Order: sequence, then C-alpha cells, then structure tokens
Amino acid sequence: MIFVNELSVSYGAIKALNDVSFAAPSSSITAVLGANGAGKTTLLRTISGLVHPSKGDIRCDETSVVGMATEEIARMGVGHVPEGRGVISEFTVEENLRLGILASRLDVNEGMERQFELFPILGQRRKQYASTLSGGERQMLAMARALIARPHFLLLDEPSLGLAPLVTADVMKTIDSLCNVEDLTVILVEQNARSALRIAHQAIVLHLGAVVASGPAREVANDPDLRHYYLGLVK
Amino acid sequence: MLLTAGALSATFGLSSLNDSKLAGGAAIAIVILGLSWLIGWSGQVSLGNSGFMAVGGYVTAIWANHHTATPIIFSLCLAMLCGALSGLIIALPATRLRGPYLAGMTLAFSFAVGPLALYFPSITGGSGGLFLNFLNAPNWFLNLFSGPQALVQANAQWSADLSIVVAAVAFFFMANLFHSRTGRAMRLVRDNDVAAELAGVNLQRTRTLAFVISAAYAGLGGSLLTLLSGSVNSQMYSLQLSILLLTLMVLGGVGTLGGAVIGGLIYSYSDNLVSLVNKLTGINPTSSLGANLKGVFFGVLLILTMLLAPKGLGGLGARIANMANRLRPASMRAPTRE
Amino acid sequence: MGSFFSSRIMTDILGGLASGVVIALVALCLVIIWKSTHVLNFAQGAMGMFGAFVGMNLVFHGVNYWLCILVSMMAGLLLGGATERVLIRPLYGKPEINPIVVMVGFLGVIESAVPSIWKNEISTIPTPFSQVYYQSHGHTILMSPFVAFQIVLSLTVMGAIALLFRFTDLGLKMRAAALAPEVSRLLGVRVGRLLTWGWMLSSGVGALAAVIVSSGQSLAPSNMDGIFVSAFIAAAVGGLESPVGAVTGGLLIGVAESFALNFWSTNLAPLAGVIVLVVSLAWRPQGIFTRHVARRV
Repeated sequence: MIFVNELSVSYGAIKALNDVSFAAPSSSITAVLGANGAGKTTLLRTISGLVHPSKGDIRCDETSVVGMATEEIARMGVGHVPEGRGVISEFTVEENLRLGILASRLDVNEGMERQFELFPILGQRRKQYASTLSGGERQMLAMARALIARPHFLLLDEPSLGLAPLVTADVMKTIDSLCNVEDLTVILVEQNARSALRIAHQAIVLHLGAVVASGPAREVANDPDLRHYYLGLVK
Repeated sequence: MLLTAGALSATFGLSSLNDSKLAGGAAIAIVILGLSWLIGWSGQVSLGNSGFMAVGGYVTAIWANHHTATPIIFSLCLAMLCGALSGLIIALPATRLRGPYLAGMTLAFSFAVGPLALYFPSITGGSGGLFLNFLNAPNWFLNLFSGPQALVQANAQWSADLSIVVAAVAFFFMANLFHSRTGRAMRLVRDNDVAAELAGVNLQRTRTLAFVISAAYAGLGGSLLTLLSGSVNSQMYSLQLSILLLTLMVLGGVGTLGGAVIGGLIYSYSDNLVSLVNKLTGINPTSSLGANLKGVFFGVLLILTMLLAPKGLGGLGARIANMANRLRPASMRAPTRE
Repeated sequence: MGSFFSSRIMTDILGGLASGVVIALVALCLVIIWKSTHVLNFAQGAMGMFGAFVGMNLVFHGVNYWLCILVSMMAGLLLGGATERVLIRPLYGKPEINPIVVMVGFLGVIESAVPSIWKNEISTIPTPFSQVYYQSHGHTILMSPFVAFQIVLSLTVMGAIALLFRFTDLGLKMRAAALAPEVSRLLGVRVGRLLTWGWMLSSGVGALAAVIVSSGQSLAPSNMDGIFVSAFIAAAVGGLESPVGAVTGGLLIGVAESFALNFWSTNLAPLAGVIVLVVSLAWRPQGIFTRHVARRV
C-alpha cells in the first residue's frame, strides 16, 4: 500500500504538485492520468526520492520515505521504470538485468532465469547490447530489470510511450498478470488513458498538479466530463 | 566601475615601497581582467595566460635591448600586439574545444612556453633571462620631489602612477566592450551557443576575439611587469603563475571589473597578508612550513572560496549590497545587480 | 639483432613505450575520474606524489621496499576518497569550472604543503631493479631491468583495471554509476559510494605511478607535473570518455616525446605533446576513440 498525503512539490515559483492525496492499495493497479505537464512524472519521481517535496508525506507500507535517499528507497522494494525506460544502451541485456539485482541479496542466476521465463525474448537476446533492441523489447527489459529484485511496489512511467498499439496491449496484459501474481502495489502513469483504465482498479486524474478526480477505474472511465476534458477521449 | 578607476588615481601620496607594490598589482590586475573576461564573459577556461604574459615580457625586453630610448607607450602597444598575435595562433585550435579540453590545452601551452624560451638562448637570454633599464621618471616629474630620498621616491611613484594610468585605460576599454554589441554577443555565446548561432552570431569569430583580447591584455600586463622589474626570465612564467592568476581572479570575483582590481590588490599585499597569518597563528616564518605558507595559504583560500563563495570577494560584496537593498522599504530599493 | 635494437628509431620507440606506459597509466586514472564525476583532476599528479611521499620515506627507516609501495598506494587511495567526499561532493550540479578551480587550488596546496611536512629531504629513492641500460655489441639499448619492470607493472595494473571493470560486479556498478547515475539509483545502486571508489582507485594507482617516476631520483612534489600534462594530452587525444583511448594516447605521446627528445632537445619534449594534441584535436575534437555524442538542443 502506498499512501500519499497532501504532497506538494515546487520548482522555484512553479507548483508542480499541489496538495496531492491518494492511496494505492496492494495487489492492485492505480492509474495516474492527465495531460502533459500535469505532474504525473513529478509524482513518481517524488515517491522515488529524486525530487524533494515542500510539504506532505509519502508512506510505503507504514514507512515514511520522504527525505530518504533514492537508492535506499529502491532497496526498500520500490521498483521504478522511469520515463524513457532508462535502459543502459552500452550494457548487454544480461548486464542490465544483473545491475537490477545486485542491490538485493537475491540469487542472481535464479532471478535472471525467472525474468527470462516471463519475457522469453529477453532470454534469446541475453548477450546482445541493449542498443540493438526494439522499443517493445526495451520496455520489457526495463520492466524485467525493475522486477528482478522482487519489489513490493512498482512505479511505471508511461510504459506505452512510443510503442505500437499491439505491443502496448501486450505490455498492459503483462502488468496486469504480474500485479496479481506478485502481489504488487502498482502505480501506473499513462497518457494513454484508454489502455490504462482497462487494467487499472482505481484511477486518479491530475490537472496542473492537483487531483481533480479519483475513484474506481470504471467510474472515472465513464464520467463524460472527465473523459472529455482531462483524458482526451471523445465526448 | 569607471569611478573606481578614477578613485584609484587619487591615491598618490604613498611611500615608495607601497608604490612599487601597487605598480605590480596594477599590472597583474590588467592580466586578471583579461582572464576574467575570457572565463567569465565568454565562458572559456584558459590556464595559458601566463604564456601570453611571457610573450609580452620577452618582446618588451628584446626590443628594449636593441632599441634604447623607446617611448613607453610604444613598448606597451608592441607587447599588446604580440600578445594578441600569439593569442590568435593559440585560439585557432583552442576555440574549437570545450571545458576541460580547453583548460588542459592551455595548460600544456603555458607549460611549454618556458622550455621554448630556453630553446632560443641567443634571443631570449637562456635561463638567465634578459635585463633592461629600470623605469626612470622623466625630469618634469622628478622636479616635483625634494629631499634625500627624492630620486628613489620619484621613480617608485612614477612606476605606480604610470601603471595605474595604464590599468585605468585598459579597464575603461573593457567596460566599454562589456556594454557593446560584441560584449553582449560573447555573453550569449557563453550561455547558449546554439541560440547564438541561430541569432546569426559567428561562434568561431566571437570566441577567437575573446581569446585574442584576453591574450593582448596578458601581454600588456606582462610587458608592464617586465618594465617595472627590469628583467625577464623563463622561471617567472611557470605553472605556479597560472595557478596564481586563477586564484586571484576567483578571489576577486570572476567576470567583474571590481574583481580584477581586488585581485591586483591582493597580489600587491600578498606578502603582508602572509605575515599577518604568521602572526595570528604563531608559525615561525623560517620553518619549512613558514617558507611554504604562501602557497598553502592561497591554495586553501582558493578552495574555500570556490566551495563557499564562488563569486569571490566581489560577489560577497554584491550579495551584501543585495541584502541591504532588500531591507529597505520597497519604494527605496535599487534594482538588483547580477 | 643488436644493432637493429639500438638503431636510433628503435631506441626512440622503446624509450617512448617505456615512458608511454606510465603516461597511459596516469591517463587512465584521469579518464576514470572524468567518466564518473566529470571532473578533470588537475591534482592527479600531486595527489600521487603525496602518496609516494608517505610511503617511500619509510624506506629510509628500514621498511621493506615492497611494503612501502603498498603504503604509498594506500595513502593515495585514502587521499582520493577524502578528496571526493570533501571537495568534490559539494560541487555536483554546479558549474563545471568550479571543480577545475578547486583541483587547481588543491594542486597548489599539496605542492606547497608537502615539502613543509617532509622538510625537503633530498635522498634518492632506491629501485628494486638495476637502472643500468643493457648493452649489446657495444650499443646502448634504452632498456634496463627497471624499465622492464616499469613496463610489466604498468601493463599488469592496466590489465587488472580492465578486468575489474569488465568482469566484476563492482566494475559493473561503477560503469553504471558513470553512464546512468539516476537510473542506477532507482535500482538501488549506491552511486555516491561508487564515485568515491572511483577516486580511490584512481589516486591509489596514481601513487604507484608517482613511485615509478620518482625511482632513482629524489622525491619532489613537482616530479609528476610533466607526466600530468602528458597524461592529460594523452587522454584528450584518445578521448576523455575512452579508457582504450587513454592508453593508446599514452603510448603515442610517450613515443612522440621520445622522438622530440632525440631530434630536438630536452626542452621541447612537452611541445611535441602539444603539437600532437593540436593536430589530433583539429582532426577529431572529441578524441579519436569517442563515439559521436549528440548535442542536446
């Protein structure tokens, strides 16, 4: 369970997040939606400790993470696939995965085998350099790398970005099944509201840094005003 | 800032020892200004200005030895020209480089200048260097003084006044350049060279110009120093000098005219400062620590300044002024300065 | 055979490779620090000399030579770590010129402070192998047991560093910390600690280089000045981002300086390096081995 309470973040005079509060229950997917610049990425970065809030609290299963160093938050079990995936092109698939598991005490080989089962293509390409992978493959690598350390929480920043619709559907299906199998608390940031709402259990909508709507995913998806103004869906 | 230059000229009534210190300080201030210009306003870090000082110094000495009784202004201008020329040569490769590459290349240059001078001993006087006549005050100036120390005093005073005047002129030009189109173009290149290019500024030319001006100033300063001290040799222009220039520039404040002045003053009185430190900490000046204290002191000062107050003493002054400004009611506030 | 090896060209090349290998070592250290923390460590040579001072002075008190080398390296290591934490850490995110200036200042401090601590002792450092050049058919080859030792040691250390980076987990983490610090943090990698390790490694090896350079001479803080300039040039020629470039550059500069030494005079050796630098940067401003880096607009 991730609990965000009255979180505010400012970049100088600009308020990126304004009193954001919500709860993401475990074993579920919470979608964070909104237009470009709404503050979705800032939210994830703040949870991971890359950005310091000016006000508010973030709790991952009772532990407050505000003020903790990013790497310590990650070691607590918070996996984060950043915007743009962050795959290290100069490393091979294997090296990327290895990097993901080194901080934990888990067995490296076992971890890798697990990920290759989940994502067989990665197993085929294990010795290849990450720069040679396609967009969809890179997305899988980034997710596998975040998952290899068996996190309890998973933050995904726009996984569908730059991917073809079929691939996006695939990715979303994977996230859905993972959430159930691994008992994860997933926060899914997406601009592609439609695909996100299909797998999410609840959703919040951000607009200019503030929460303008929240509730079960189906409700949010069907609210006509919300659909038009904030999600870009046709009225 | 122009007022500062004017005010300096007013400090004429000092002892001869102080005068010669101020003279040296003024010369160094010129060099620092050139460096400050290059680093602060055009964003190119160069460690090679000691090399250009060497060019100016040697040129002045060589010319003086072949042609006695050259008017001082001529020597200085010649040195500036040679400085500018050598700056141009170095600028050709240097301006294509960024950050650390540029710093290292100019470092290598300053490193190579000493041995280069030694390679042509017939012209440069080898390791012994060259000598020329001390700067002698003209008769009309001498007549202003009387008493047993008149000659010494007059000469010292003359050196100081001359240096200050030269420095004032140099600073004046620099201030004008700052406000000119060229100056603005340079600052734009420093901050955002892609935007500058899009605005039609020729990057290469602007950078090269900045380099050449900086080198010219270094040459001028070097020449002045040579005239003041009456000698030039390759040991004077070492790595240590480059470090010293950088230190003084940072202490005074990068990119400001006032900063260069402060830097020059610190140079003039550096020995006094060190003795002060000696007294405060009780270190024996003849011990091995004492002998090396100057280097340690300035190095530490440089580090502390960069860590705590990167804009130098000048910057601190500006910050204090800003704070005082904010304490005034809004209607009486002066616009804040960068 | 003998006359081939002692021909002028061969002598220059051999001599160049011998000094080049040490230059390459220092250049590699510079690249490690540059890649991880984006700082050009102007004090690299001086920090190495500090380590050498600490360790090698013990030789005169009867301590075993090899142990002294280890002590030197440890001293260098510790100094490097301390420097990163105290001087460089606070400067992350600030303008790039700041660490350059700080390191230049640090250089000045070390070069002034060292003689005051060790009181200008002028004694020559002993060498474990003879420095007398081999003779063959009456010609002198610029190779002595010590030079051979120098080459072997430097190559071994460089090889060890390469192995460290390629095949160990620590090396993987260090590379990641240099290439993608933010992503690494998100994976739980303690980036700060690794950067400190990078500095420690670099300074420890730097101390070794300082010991090699000072062997057969007396210890003076400025011993490494020339090598630093050459090493910088080598790293710049090869490309500051490329360890392979640094090593190749080092050998190249070593040979170039050797030729300059012979055909011109002692004084102009650094100039040869400068010329190589200018030529190479005119041709490839980002270094010969750097892959093309796109400019962010």
